[in-house]
Amino acid sequence: MESDVLLEMQGITKTFPGVKALDSASLRVSRGEIHGLVGENGAGKSTIIKVLAGVYQRDSGSVRINGKQPEPLTPASVHDAGVRFIHQELHLVPHFTVAESVFMGQELAGAFGLKRRLMRERAETFLKEALQANIPGNALIRDLGVAERKLVQIARALVDGKASLVVFDEPTAPLDSGESEQVFTAIRQLKSRGISMIYVSHYLAEITALCDSVTVFRNGSTVSVLEQVEANSTDTIIQAMVGRDIDALYPEKSHAVGGAFFSVGGLTDGQRLQPLDLTINRGEIMGVAGLIGSGREEFIDTLYGVRAAHAGSISLAGNVVNIRSPSEAVAAGIVLVPRDRRHDGLVLDMAVSDNINLATLEAVSVAGLEHRRKATERADDIAATLDIRPRNVNAVARYFSGGNQQKVVLARWLITQSRLFILDEPTVGVDIGAKVEIYQLVENLVAEGASVLVSSSDPGELLGLCDRIAVMYRGALVDVLEHDELSMDNLISMTTAGIPRAAEA
Amino acid sequence: MAVAPAAIFLLLLVYLGVTAPNLLELSTLSLILQQSIPTAIVCMGLASVVMAGGDDVVSGGIDLSIPATAVLAAAIIADQLVNHGSGLAVALMLGMGAALLMGVLNAVLVVTIGMTPLLATLASSVAAVGITKVVTSSRRINVDHPLIVFLRDAQFHGISVAVLLTAMLALIFYVALHRTRWGMHLQAVGGSRDAAEVSGISPKRLMAHSFLIAAVAGALASVFLLARGSGSTPGSEENLLLEMVLATFLGAAFSPRRVVTLWGAVLGAVLVSLLSVGFKSIGVDVFWTGCIKGALILLVVASAAYSNKQRR
Amino acid sequence: MTYNSTIQPRSGQKHRPAKRLIRSACVAMISAAAFVVPVVNAADLTLEGKKIGVAVVGTQHFWDREAFNGALDMVKELGGEPVPVDGGRDNQVHADNHDILLSNKVDAVISILGDGAVEPKFEALKNAGIPVFTVDHLSPHGVNNTTSDNYYMGTTIGRYMADAMGGKGKVAVFNAFEGALRICGIRTGLWKYVLQDYPDIEIIQPELAEEFANAPEDARKKTLDLLNQYPPGELDAIHVGCWDQPAIGIVQALEEAGRTDVLVTALDGGPDTLEIMAEENSPFVANVAQQPRLIGQTAAMNAARHFAGESLLPQTFVDVKPVNGPDGAKAVYEELGYGTL
Repeated sequence: MESDVLLEMQGITKTFPGVKALDSASLRVSRGEIHGLVGENGAGKSTIIKVLAGVYQRDSGSVRINGKQPEPLTPASVHDAGVRFIHQELHLVPHFTVAESVFMGQELAGAFGLKRRLMRERAETFLKEALQANIPGNALIRDLGVAERKLVQIARALVDGKASLVVFDEPTAPLDSGESEQVFTAIRQLKSRGISMIYVSHYLAEITALCDSVTVFRNGSTVSVLEQVEANSTDTIIQAMVGRDIDALYPEKSHAVGGAFFSVGGLTDGQRLQPLDLTINRGEIMGVAGLIGSGREEFIDTLYGVRAAHAGSISLAGNVVNIRSPSEAVAAGIVLVPRDRRHDGLVLDMAVSDNINLATLEAVSVAGLEHRRKATERADDIAATLDIRPRNVNAVARYFSGGNQQKVVLARWLITQSRLFILDEPTVGVDIGAKVEIYQLVENLVAEGASVLVSSSDPGELLGLCDRIAVMYRGALVDVLEHDELSMDNLISMTTAGIPRAAEA
Repeated sequence: MAVAPAAIFLLLLVYLGVTAPNLLELSTLSLILQQSIPTAIVCMGLASVVMAGGDDVVSGGIDLSIPATAVLAAAIIADQLVNHGSGLAVALMLGMGAALLMGVLNAVLVVTIGMTPLLATLASSVAAVGITKVVTSSRRINVDHPLIVFLRDAQFHGISVAVLLTAMLALIFYVALHRTRWGMHLQAVGGSRDAAEVSGISPKRLMAHSFLIAAVAGALASVFLLARGSGSTPGSEENLLLEMVLATFLGAAFSPRRVVTLWGAVLGAVLVSLLSVGFKSIGVDVFWTGCIKGALILLVVASAAYSNKQRR
Repeated sequence: MTYNSTIQPRSGQKHRPAKRLIRSACVAMISAAAFVVPVVNAADLTLEGKKIGVAVVGTQHFWDREAFNGALDMVKELGGEPVPVDGGRDNQVHADNHDILLSNKVDAVISILGDGAVEPKFEALKNAGIPVFTVDHLSPHGVNNTTSDNYYMGTTIGRYMADAMGGKGKVAVFNAFEGALRICGIRTGLWKYVLQDYPDIEIIQPELAEEFANAPEDARKKTLDLLNQYPPGELDAIHVGCWDQPAIGIVQALEEAGRTDVLVTALDGGPDTLEIMAEENSPFVANVAQQPRLIGQTAAMNAARHFAGESLLPQTFVDVKPVNGPDGAKAVYEELGYGTL
């Protein structure tokens, strides 16, 4: 007799140099169910999925699929066992047809070459019957909507009819709610055909609506398994996910907040970002929260002129400013510490002092030529203030640690005497010690009267640092959490479900 | 934007059709086909490489060495036939073998060592030109081997045998690239390396294949080069290179999906030949023809880059 | 190979009476050296209503351009409609251009220069009943070839060079085209023929091969390599066998390397090279200047003569001007109407 358990992963441990990514984690999926897998960033969700996929080799633990233990676990053996992965990226060729995409790598061919008609018919039939989608087999991928492309991707994984377990990794991240519904319909249809699924998502609303049971990961371990998921399970899940106090990483919020200083009205990029309004006060730290795909990145890029604004206005100290490029932003007194500092923020092969002086070369130039000694002295001063280590401003930026690189970028903008600082993911890849220093630096900035906008995917960081937090969800700014509303529950429920806190109360 | 080159080209054709009335006569059309032959064949090679490497002009697939490879093979064949008294079989084997070695070199440079195709094939092109000079001492070699003369002059029911052979070659390339699993895999790699990889296709292997295919095209083109020129002429790779790039990317503008395809490339070669003949028929200065071709290449490549940008 | 035996009039025998007119009816347009058989007065020649294709291998060089323009202007002057095609200095394109003229149904083709690739094209034109008049390219499929007296050029430059070298020493030769172009075979072949009588002059082996396109720059590089290989005292002269565009680069290289003791000789004598020769202490010491414009004009007139029913000799020779030393260069420069130096 077949067991009810389709997948059983037990005691999985995976260590990377210096990091224990999985610590005796387990995951168990029953036949015919949709099983949710949730956890904060870094909780170990993707690691365990990669172990299952055979991409990472586990250090210890056991994996049973359908009662068997495929050894070794490789992408091929997992595929043969009937496990399929729907990656977050679509992996489609824009100029291929739907049929060509569905059968990519598994084309049907006879003695006289490709069986194009057969492939088209099978693709159409599969999309219609298994995914409830009417997509013509000869349509080009680039003419399809994002949801339809997602369905084509799913069809490619499943069209051979041998799949018994499908792993979805954030399938709706790039979609809006209408498009997501299309994907849900397909997933429910697959379930009715007896296919089991693992559903990885940050969107808790989706998890509760779609999944039969849920496993919650935290710090590389399984902390909770809910066998029966209902609409009101969200609270339980959030508690399991967070499960910790916000520790003493963050400085005392002692600064005084003044009157309105910076405001945007109806700002939109005409694409993903829906028109939004936001005001930041003098001496205030404003946070921006939101999942990947929430429009948070687009918002920051549009503010900074990297992305073209389609409509809306930006005003600074009551004056309307026109920002079409980063240089105009800098001129207006707005500076950005970008999220990918290694590419967007730093010239890695330049000396630290050159990196620091990059934005303000005029100040250390004589008749258009850089005054080297003046430049080095100035860079050394600020490096001392920020405690950039090692204290050698002539060294090349590439060899500094993440935290110190981040401080170099900060240093560059600090000496511009700017009035609004936008920090995009300021502590990604930064160790705890440097984090604390960066937080203190932000606190010092506002104490001196500057305003700061912090965009972060770390809810703890936002709660610990910010006076208020603007929450984005699927391209729109849904609400701003005021100082007395700042709580992990509020923040998580709003970023994952898009529910304004008023509705929740 | 993607259709702009096609539109401008059609306008040019209409203009030429009106001002040079004999352009659309049967004899002229057959001349146009004949003159397009070596270009059409090297275009088939380039189309394979672009299809496997993607049409990003900088990082995508490109093989600038095909014309130089063809000229090198032609030089070796001519040198063997005329100066060493080799038989045709030996001469062909040596010439085409050298061409295939160029293909292997490109594949190693790009796939194993990881150079950008643009730079790798530019370098191997320079090398091929150099070897050609060594082989021929930069001299023209007249070839009057009966088979070469046959390829030049023979007609079958009033149609040039060379044109028929080229059409057959195009058909073979078409079937291989567009009607087989291998061809689909090649296109998948060019369309999206990651997508191909997750579908179990090895991008490296197929990219290497594409450079070998390009070398085969170069080798085959060499025989037609010899026939057309009644011998080997060092230096003829320059014009061939220009026409090859123009034709292949122009063909993309005409293809329904706006990507480089085999038929698109062949059609492009014929259109470029038509343009050359047309301009000369109405007495356009050769330097202006060069300017116009250059401008067209710019337009075609720029519009490809632009529509790529739009897609992202 | 001897001077006279190569000229074998193909149709001259049938028109004996015409021969008598040679001396009396020398046409002003054509210089005394031209051996045409005129039966029609030059003033009555016409190309009215004729479409004449004029194909040239390239127009970058003075010689080619002058011959091309000479032919075009004369076709127009005689009332014809010229159809010009330019190979852009690419012999293959030049050859292919003849196909275009064929499909354009021209009445005659004047073809200037070109290598073996044009022969099948000439044959196709001949088979289609279109007469071909060549310039500097003797072909069995052409009606007539207008050219400089290449025999005289070859022997003259051989004698001048041998004299300049004092009858002994080592000479390097740029000789890419002796085997590919008949006119070059004549010029270089006769140069070598003359040198047979100077046993103390040694031609350095292997011979050098210049490129057709970008000749000056290519020759400059090759000369610099040559000079490295042959230190002072081991090289006395450099000769260009069939033209003089490479000589521009050779002189540059000699000046760069400070080796102006090496003598340079070449053929063609356009204004650019005559100017170099006219410079004080120029290493470029001898040349034979051609009259390319007159050659082009003559080819066009020969086409008109052909249409007037006149039988042409296989070759029409246009006078050349030997150039010896800077003073000779200045004199020829003025004589050919290029101005004064």
